[in-house]
Amino acid sequence: MDTQAAQIQKKLQIELDSFKATQKEYSKLVQQRQQLDGQLNENQNVLEEMNILAEDKNTVYKLIGPILVKQSLTESKQNVSKRIDYISKELQKCNDRLTTIEKEQDKHRENLGKLQQQLSVISAMK
Amino acid sequence: MATISQNEGSNMQQIDLMKLNIQQLSQLKQQLDSELTIFQDSLATLKMAKGKFAASKESLEQFKEGFDQKTTLIPLTGSMYVPGRIKDIENVIIDIGTGYYVEKDRDSAKDYFKRKVDFVGEQIEKIEILGYEKSQIRDAICEVISVKLQQMKAQLPQES
Repeated sequence: MDTQAAQIQKKLQIELDSFKATQKEYSKLVQQRQQLDGQLNENQNVLEEMNILAEDKNTVYKLIGPILVKQSLTESKQNVSKRIDYISKELQKCNDRLTTIEKEQDKHRENLGKLQQQLSVISAMK
Repeated sequence: MATISQNEGSNMQQIDLMKLNIQQLSQLKQQLDSELTIFQDSLATLKMAKGKFAASKESLEQFKEGFDQKTTLIPLTGSMYVPGRIKDIENVIIDIGTGYYVEKDRDSAKDYFKRKVDFVGEQIEKIEILGYEKSQIRDAICEVISVKLQQMKAQLPQES
């Protein structure tokens, strides 16, 4: 009887550890998503602003280290669009990973509940 | 009676607060509390950003015709100035974010800051509305919790 209880206890511990690990990754991913979301927003704002500009009227500079370097408008637009594409892709990846982790967490939660139940049944039988 | 609609992303959830137990209610309250703090923080940040844009616009409006003829004091540090003259008062260079700067004439620069101030103002309003809704839900939850506690107190002497 005791060995059975110990076995379940052990399983419970393993399950709990992996559950905690997924929780940790989850919060890390949420943070990452927030950051990406912010970057995406900022880049979109910049692109929006660039779309109003005219090549012959406005000069675009890019900050490289402490100095401003002249850039052509079309090139800058391309650059920012590329960034937006990249960030969107990263964001998508992040979201996909989050949904899979959510599913994993649900599974862990279910398993934990079952194990706990088993444990309480065994202790009640004693 | 205490039915509230909770807007979580896209899916609207209707929860009858009276059906939840105290533990669930306090968990919900905690969640709302942390959300409200986030709102408060972002409101403060947004207000700061709005202030910065407004200040830039204000100083642009100080630029008047013939300013290039006058001597100005340029701050080198917070407490040291050197006399100088602004060569070009028609154009300014604006930071539009992510390391990009754009040279604009005065009027379109003013327009830029006006747009930014309006934009940030809109976001502030949106968050204020959301925050108000959330705090109302929070109040409703607090009320339900106290009602439940009273019910429990009333039941206690009967059981014993």
